[in-house]
Order: sequence, then C-alpha cells, then structure tokens
Amino acid sequence: MSSNEEPKTTDVTEDAHGASPAHSPSPEKSGGGAYLFLSFIVGLALSMVVGWAVFPKVLYSKKSQPVDFSHKLHLEQVDNGCESCHFFREDGTFSGAPKLEQCIGCHEEVMGESENEAVFVEQYVAKEREVPWLVYARQPDCVFFSHAAHVYGAKLACETCHGNIGASDTLKPYEQNRITGYSRDIWGHSISGFKRNTWDRMKMDDCAECHETAGIHDSSVQTGRDACFVCHK
Amino acid sequence: MKHAQTQHRPKRYGMVIDLDKCTGCGACMVACFSENNVPFKADESDKRLSITWMKVYKVTNGESFPNADVCYFPRPCQHCAGQHEGHSPCVSVCPATATDYSKETGIVSQIYTRCFGCRYCMGACPYHARYFNWWDPVWPKGMEQYLSPNVSPRMRGIVEKCSFCFHRYQLARNKAFKEGHREVKENEYQTACTQACPAGAITFGDLNNPDHKVHQLAQPDVHHGYKAKNPLAFRLLERLGTNTKVYYMSSREWVRKAGDNYLADENPGEHVQEPSGH
Amino acid sequence: MKLSRRCFLSLVVGGAAGTALTPLPWKITDDLSIWSQNWPWTPVPPDGAGSYVASTCTLCPGGCGISVRKIDDRAVKIEGAAGHPLNDGGVCMLGLSGLQLLYSPTRIQSPLKRVGERGQGQWQTITWKQAIGEVAGKLGDIRQQGKPEALACIAPKDTGTVARLMDRLMAAYGSPNFFRTPSVEDAYEAVLYLTQGVVGHVGLDVENADFILSFGSALLDGYGSPVRMFRANSRLKEMHGTVVQIEPRLSNTAAKADRWLPLKPGTEADLALAMAHVIIARNAADRGFLEGQTQGFAAFMRMVQERYTPQSVAARTGIKANVIEEVAMKFAAAKRPLAICGRGKGQVPGSLKEALAVHALNALVGNINATGGVTAFSAYDYIDWADVVTDEVAAKGRQTPRLDGAGSDKYPNARYLLNHLADAADNIQALLVAESNPCYALPDTRGIKAAFDKIPFVVSFSSFMDETAMNADIILPNHVYLERFEDVPVTFGAGYPTVGLCRPVVEPLYHTQHLGDTIIQVAKALKGSVGASFPWPDYKTCLKQSLGDKWDILKQKGVWVDASANPGIETASGKIVLMDDTLGAVYTADEVPAPGDAATYPLVLVPYDSIRLSSRYIGDPPFMVKTVSDRIVKGHDGFVEINPETAAKLSLADGQMATLTTPVGEARVRVNLDNGIMPDVVAMPRGLGHTAYDEFLAGKGVNVNQLVGSVDDPASGLDAAWGIRAKLA
Repeated sequence: MSSNEEPKTTDVTEDAHGASPAHSPSPEKSGGGAYLFLSFIVGLALSMVVGWAVFPKVLYSKKSQPVDFSHKLHLEQVDNGCESCHFFREDGTFSGAPKLEQCIGCHEEVMGESENEAVFVEQYVAKEREVPWLVYARQPDCVFFSHAAHVYGAKLACETCHGNIGASDTLKPYEQNRITGYSRDIWGHSISGFKRNTWDRMKMDDCAECHETAGIHDSSVQTGRDACFVCHK
Repeated sequence: MKHAQTQHRPKRYGMVIDLDKCTGCGACMVACFSENNVPFKADESDKRLSITWMKVYKVTNGESFPNADVCYFPRPCQHCAGQHEGHSPCVSVCPATATDYSKETGIVSQIYTRCFGCRYCMGACPYHARYFNWWDPVWPKGMEQYLSPNVSPRMRGIVEKCSFCFHRYQLARNKAFKEGHREVKENEYQTACTQACPAGAITFGDLNNPDHKVHQLAQPDVHHGYKAKNPLAFRLLERLGTNTKVYYMSSREWVRKAGDNYLADENPGEHVQEPSGH
Repeated sequence: MKLSRRCFLSLVVGGAAGTALTPLPWKITDDLSIWSQNWPWTPVPPDGAGSYVASTCTLCPGGCGISVRKIDDRAVKIEGAAGHPLNDGGVCMLGLSGLQLLYSPTRIQSPLKRVGERGQGQWQTITWKQAIGEVAGKLGDIRQQGKPEALACIAPKDTGTVARLMDRLMAAYGSPNFFRTPSVEDAYEAVLYLTQGVVGHVGLDVENADFILSFGSALLDGYGSPVRMFRANSRLKEMHGTVVQIEPRLSNTAAKADRWLPLKPGTEADLALAMAHVIIARNAADRGFLEGQTQGFAAFMRMVQERYTPQSVAARTGIKANVIEEVAMKFAAAKRPLAICGRGKGQVPGSLKEALAVHALNALVGNINATGGVTAFSAYDYIDWADVVTDEVAAKGRQTPRLDGAGSDKYPNARYLLNHLADAADNIQALLVAESNPCYALPDTRGIKAAFDKIPFVVSFSSFMDETAMNADIILPNHVYLERFEDVPVTFGAGYPTVGLCRPVVEPLYHTQHLGDTIIQVAKALKGSVGASFPWPDYKTCLKQSLGDKWDILKQKGVWVDASANPGIETASGKIVLMDDTLGAVYTADEVPAPGDAATYPLVLVPYDSIRLSSRYIGDPPFMVKTVSDRIVKGHDGFVEINPETAAKLSLADGQMATLTTPVGEARVRVNLDNGIMPDVVAMPRGLGHTAYDEFLAGKGVNVNQLVGSVDDPASGLDAAWGIRAKLA
C-alpha cells in the first residue's frame, strides 16, 4: 500500500474502488466499503446462482428414453400390479426393466395410433432388438440390492423407493451425471440432497437411514450399523 | 418395525478342510478365480503379485528321500473373529471402514470402492490372504464376456480377498425370501471352492449350527475361543488368537504341527490322540 | 468502472462464501469420489436372467458332467454336474477353465488357408464353401491317382459319432490309415483281447475297491476319468481302505497314498511279477477263481517262480524283498483289491508286458469281471450304420497294409501306432488332424514335426491356433465343446460303459463349423461312392438317428450308463488266459530300457503329469497357468526336479540355470531341489513349453516331449517310453 505512505504527494485517486488514504475521512471511504460490500454481495449472489441454478443444469445431461411409455396405461391393463412386468424370477432375483419377450404378447402388431407404439413395434419388436431403456434407479456395480428382501421380506411397497411411477403418463427425461455417469435419481432431484419423500433419493445414506429406523441388524463391527456386505458386492 | 433377523441366532460361517483328502489339485483356486472375476496377467509366476483368494500351499516335512512327505494347505481368507467378535487383525486396522466384520454371519467383508489402498490390512493379516491390485485388471479381448455380474470386478490400487462367496449367500437369501422361508439352508449357501472340490475335502457351513456338518467335524469349543474339540482338527497359527473360522483336519501329526510355529522341544499334540486305522 | 484489487478480492470472497452456501462443493466432491471408484475401463458385467445348461466336458477323455451357469446369453461359470455318475458335482481345474477357451482370443474364427511358408503363421480367411472345396479337391486328386491309402487321419478316439464319421470317410475313401492318438487304452485293449478275447474297453471299479495298487498311475493327477478317481480316493480315506503308489517320485498320488513305493523307473513289470510270485508262493491266490476261470495258471506260476523271486527283482526295482512280500500279501488279503497301470495320466501306452503283469495280479486275486475289480466291456455298439458304399478304388486301398505296421505280422497286438508316423509319412500325401495336437503332445516332437514336413497336405480341424494348426495348410475350425452337440463315450476310467451328451451352451461365436458337418460336407463334395456313404443331410440328423432311443434319454438326463453291461470272457475256452505261447513271448521279453548310454547320460529323465497342466489337445487356459508353482515355471524358465543329493554331486544349486541334455534334445532349465525324487532321476512335467497360443501360455517352461523319444515295445510296437537318459550341467 505504497499510496498510503505518501498521502501528501498523491492525489486522491480517481478510482472509486481504490484504497483511500488512511487519514482522510473522505466520503470515498464509506463508499469504498459499500463497494467492497457490494462486490461481496455480487460474488455471493453470482455463486449462489451458479451453485443452485446453473450447476445442476451443467452437471446433468438430459437424454430421452428410446420410446415413451405410459406406466399408467399399462397398470390399468394388467392384473398383478407392478409385478406383472417387473417380476421376480424363480431364483428370487428381480427382472427389472422388462424384456421384449414380455411385451411381445400384446405388441406383436401395432396397437392404437401412438407414434411411440409404431416406433416400438417397428424398431424393436419387428427387429427383435431389446429396447435400451435408461434405468433411473440403476445403482453402481458395487451395490447389491435385493428386491426380494424388501418386497417379500420387509413387505415394502414399490412406491417406497420408486415413488408412484405407476401413475405417470410419460417417461421423464433421463438425467445423467456427467462426472459419475449415474442417473440423477440416485442423488435425488434436489441438488441440495434435500428429500421430502422416501423415494426422493437413493444414496447409501438413504438405505442406511431406513435400515437404522427399521432396526435391521446392527452387526457391523466398524459402524455399529448394518454390515457392509449386506448391500455391497 | 423390528425385523425378524435380529432375533435369529447369529451365524458363524466357516470351513473345515480335510487335508487327508485334499490332493493339491487346485480346483478350488480356479473355481474361485472363475466365480469371483479374479484377474490374471501374462506372468503369474511372481506369487507375491499373483491374486489368489484361495491359494493352495505345498508344505513338506523336510525329510530326505524316501521319507519326504508333502501336504497341501488350501488357504482362503480365514475370517478371523479375534479375541472378541470382530477383532480381526485386518478390520481393526482399516482406516477407511473398507473391511468390516459382520456379527450376523461372521464374514469379513471387503468393499472395493471404499478401499483406498493403504494396505495396512495386508500387513496385519497373518495369513497373506489379502492381495493388492498393482495393476488394473485387463481381460484379453472377448474374455470379459464370462465375467459374473454377482461380483464387482476390482480396479487398480485396492485390496481384495476371499469373501466366502458372500454373493452366493445374498443370492440364496433372495431365493429364501421369495419362497417365504427366511433361513438359508446348509446346501443353499456353499462357496465355489467347496462345490468344486473333486475330492470332497472342503466342508462349509454354519459353525454355530449343530446340524451343520462343519460343526460336527470341527466341534468348536465356545468356551475356549472356538478351539476344535476334534483332536484331528486345528487352525492355522491358532496361538495368535486370531480365532479363525477355517479348520483343518489331518491324521498326520507333522501336518498338524505345520499349522503353527512351535519350539523344537514343544509338542503341540499332547492332548491329541494318534488316530487309529492308518 | 474499473475493478480494483480489493473489490475483486471481495468478489472472490463473496463468491467463495456463496459457493459454500450451495451444494456445489459437496456435490462435486461426492461425484468425483464416485468417479474415482468407477474407472470407465473397469468392466461392469451386465446382469440378467440366470440359468444353467447341463452338458458334458470334452476337454479330457474323462467325460465329466458339467453345469454351465449363464446370465442371459453369456456363459459365466462352469460347475460340476451334481448327481452325475462319474463326477457328482466335482470338477477339475481344466473343466472349470473352459470358458477361457470358449472366449479365448486364440480361437480360430473362420476357415483359414496358409499363405507363405508353413509355420510362419500367415493365413488368408476363406469361406466354408472354399474350404470344403479345397479339401475335397485335394483328396479327389489323390484318389484319382489311385492312391487312396495315402490319406491319413489322426483323431483322439475311435468311438462316438464324430470319430466314427472320420473313420467312415477313410473307409469310403479307401484308406486303412486312421490313427487314434496313443494312450494306455492301447495297452489295456491288447491285454483284454489277449487274455479275455474281448474287443472293447476296460472298466476299473475304483468305487468299490478297498485296496488300489497303482503302478505309477496318477490317480490324483488326471488318470482315467479324473474326478471319479479323486472321489474314489476320498472314499477310500473315509473307509480306511488302502492306496499303494509305485513310482520314483513323490507325486500328489504318492503323497496321499497310504504307502509309497519308490521304485526304479521302468521296472514296474518286474515288481508286478514278483508280487505275483509272492501271492502264489504264499498260497494267497484265489484258487477257486484260478481253477474255474483261468487257463495257463501252471505255466504262469512256473514263469514267475523261475524268473521273478522278490530277491531277484529287489535290486533291479530298488524295493526290498520283504517290502515286496508285505505289500503283495496285503494286496492279496484285501477284500476287493485292484491293480492298475498306465503311468501318469496314461498318455503313453507303455509296455504290453507291464500291462499283462498287472492284469495277472488282478486275476490271481480273482478280481476280474468282479465288483471292485477290472472288467472287460465290449466296444460301444450303439452306432449301427449301413456299410460304406465301396467302389474299386476304395476296395483296393483298404486292402493295403497300414502304413504304421499295426496289425501286421510284426505288430499283431496293436491297432494304431501313431508313434510310427515318421516312417509312415513318406507315403502320406494328405493328413487330417482332429481334436489333437501331435506336434506338441506326442513324444519326440522333433520327429513328429519332421514327419509333418514330409506330408504335402495337412488339414487341421482345430478350434485353436495350436502347434499342429500352425503346421497345417488349411484349417477348418470346429466349434468348441460349449457350442456343439456330440455324444461322448467314456472309454477309459469309467466303471461301466458310459455315454455323455455334450450340448451347446451358447450359440457359436464365430464362423466355425461342427467337425461332423465338415466331414459330411467333404464326403459329399467327393461325390460318388464316398458321398453316397454319407446319407445324412447334416451331423445333428446323423447323431439323432445313430443314438435312436438313447437320444431322448441323453437329452433328458445328459448321460447314459449301461450298468447292465455284461463283462465278458470271449476266449475259445471261455476262460481267462494267464499264459499261452503269445503271452509267454511277451513275458520273456526284456524290459524296455531308457534310450541313451549311461556313461554319457548318468541321469534318467522321466516326464510326469500334473492335473494343473493340460498336456493333450487342449492348451492350458490362463487360470491354470496361474496356479502353476513358481518351482515349476518362473517367468519363462521351466524347472527340472532333482534330488538334492544328486544335485550336490553335480554341483548344482537350487534355482540355478543348467542345460539338460538327452539323446534327442536339450533345453535350458532351472534346478529345483526336491526331496521327493529318487536320486539320479530327474523329472519334468508335461504340458509346458508351448510355442503356439498367446502370451499367457506360449514360451513358458520346456516341452518335455522335445527331450524324450519314443521307444517301441518289442511285443506290441506301442510306444513304451517311460523316460530317457539325460545329463544336467
């Protein structure tokens, strides 16, 4: 701050944001503070905008599903609820997104006039190509999730984790995290990680939270909670 | 809601390996490689760098021809319980909570994504059961096709080890849940090595369950740190107090003695009766 | 307005504070850590529906049942088939590694035609139509010249539809020169024919035996149907039965045996006959059986009394007379004793004398065609095809003597003598090689390679680029076993006639074709009587028709066991021949020596077998190589096993490099001091030193077949080489 040391020889700088001579109670001093504060606020505001609004937009890329699909419409047609299509195999494993095999029973020919239906039948059914569905709830490879334990064991409803997908008319865009490659649904829609419903997030903490409140096991020596190998592989 | 599992008697999965039957054929090793997506390199002859969750050690009696004798020791992770449940050498040193002990099953887990590769656990393990991935696993073109989705392939820089094929327990539980019974039966959860062993030398099951064959073979003594009551059964480096869950059986005294370090004039088998019939 | 430093800093501080109030830093930290745990190059195996396909393993002659786990269309794991009569859930290392063969980069993906010199590995991809046309064209030319006998064929077996189709092609074409790769089956078949008049296979009832006397057979390293042998061994442990292992090195079998008799290699027949002497002299033989069901006992007794007293063989065998007596008496005293022969996995037929002597031991204790003993089953007869259509060329060609001399006056007791290939090669113009790798797996690989060099046209049907395929002119790759249907008759090592069904687990991955289809197509392309001998449109039709009602049984159960098969004695007298003129000549023949002179070569090199090394057609998959001890292979170096005492004499230290020289070759090896091997004997495993395949197998260790030669058994002409003299410096 060389200018401060030589106040007499130096004019007050025209730079409003510049440092004022220390001894001078000039109006610039309080104005400088205001500017400083203003800069701070601007920085704060800008970064908040970036962090809360821009960042999520940049972080996730949006992809649409290969074919749109109405869970609602299908749920009305089947007798066994979600399990009609998302069923358990005989060995207790869960089938996940249905394969063409299950669709083909009804969709051998184009039904109705929907454009998606036409695409589905022509591009996939006719060519015997599986639909490359983008799975919102896909977990990383290190995770072992047992649907059987939750559906048969704990008698949880599908909605507990997946929300009321059965009521949806269309498939929302699949948002993929550009860094991790995972679906946005794992972290949850809220960028702050805030959740209102049990199905809003699917991170490990969310699993652990439910396990803890449900009082399932406390067998981990390391954490005093549920053991690592229960959900990892 | 309180789930029923907590009321169940905790399991203590373990193994009994009959060294009289074991022929050292190594089928257990390959069953394990194949089951657990264990990688391989062009040169696997530096055995310190060769990832073998299950490793068959050749032990000799040190005598000269024709009195030389050989015994093979298959060595999976010993799943140590330690002095008190979960005081395993590796679990107690892991700074990352990457390896854990489940009181529910007695299995020592290793979570690859959690591990950051400090290798403390490898230093702590008295059995060399843990292996470090110095390289990224690479499968020759096309061979990644046979990888099993039930076990995550590992990445460079982390430690891995035998899990007692825990994924098979997970799958068996899936089936048990679906079928509405909760207990996994003895034959529903068997490790890949046990299943493959052509000599039938490996037995696997719940050491706490008197109906299970492992319990009957080893007869673990709950009041004495689970030491085997069967005089032919022993554990490796038992006197370290690692309280392992892998028991070995042999009718040969030098083999039983090879399982631990003894002073020259020490007789480990004082309480052990010589078997009859051979 | 200019931004001053202060305000800029303030802006940055504000920005930092603001950022801290957003989820950005925490979210990015979390995402980055997740990213670092999931490198994109670490494969993520896709999940899907799990299923199992039951099939039969064909990687060795054992015929174990396998159960292959699939996830959607991928095969992910091979397991042993529970409840299978041979292996009941158990499975060996090779069987477990099968998927590394299926998905191997060393697979041949389409027909290939050699461009450039042989062995250079320069190939041109051709279509199946071209390939069939090429082979049929060449074979047609040779036939046109009226020399159909100049076609030869090598296959690993002579039973089962595929082998029989090859044999049929040879017959219709007009050549008698079909070769089965050698094994102890050759010796056993000769023994069964000479003593019991049975043309067929030996059954070893190891499951019910309570005393197994093994003359070097690697019960625990791949002999017979390997897993069955393991199971029998474990059962013997449980019921306190006995295994006595006779061989010069402490093999796994010897280590697990209740008693190991380290004998000087090559003297097995002497030992067996001395034991016979003891059993007869001590009156421990089964008199009732001998009187009722054998002939020539008196002459046999005279022979062993004169020539094989324990005292007289003790020095030769290196086993003390009292030990011979003790073991012989224990053998005779057992309820169901069983003596078996065939060194190691039984890859070398061995001497007829030895096999006869061991068979005689079983006869003395009355354990032939009995529970827990040795049984003779007639050849599989489920393939009942119409006779081949024979034209003049074929009739004439088939009348010519076999080029290897098998069945001739000189070698009446042998059916196939592939060990004579070097001599036969001069007259072979075309050679078909199926599911075997003679350029690697036969003893004296240099001689075999030279024989191949003489043959103008070599056709390989190999699925893999192995040593023999490398030396072929054209390759018509077969599907691997996990992609095809095939009947798998088990001709050695089972207790009863057993046929397994090999069936496709996955769709063929490449442009390969079933060998059965290839043979049928080549035959049809040859037209005329050859084509007419193959009435089937394709192999699968042929298989189904041939199996008849067994097809459904096999489809359903995967295996068919003829437990009601009657073991036979079909000699003129209806009795087992212990001695006659033919056998007398065999028994009086000298022992087969190890080639080489003792002065130049003071040591004896014996090859041994390990179940961790595949030493036949199949090359070790990476998983198997991974399990091989660093005392057998280190980097690229192979080891030779030597007794510390012998090594000290030669001033060799453990791990030191040395040159191992034999009369047929030399190799640089490392020294492995081992107390389990007899002094002055050195040993190396079969199954290493490949020159073909990839970096996971090629160039590791030494192929012991390069160092050992083949020695004709004087009685049969079969290869009886058990070792060779050697020096190490």
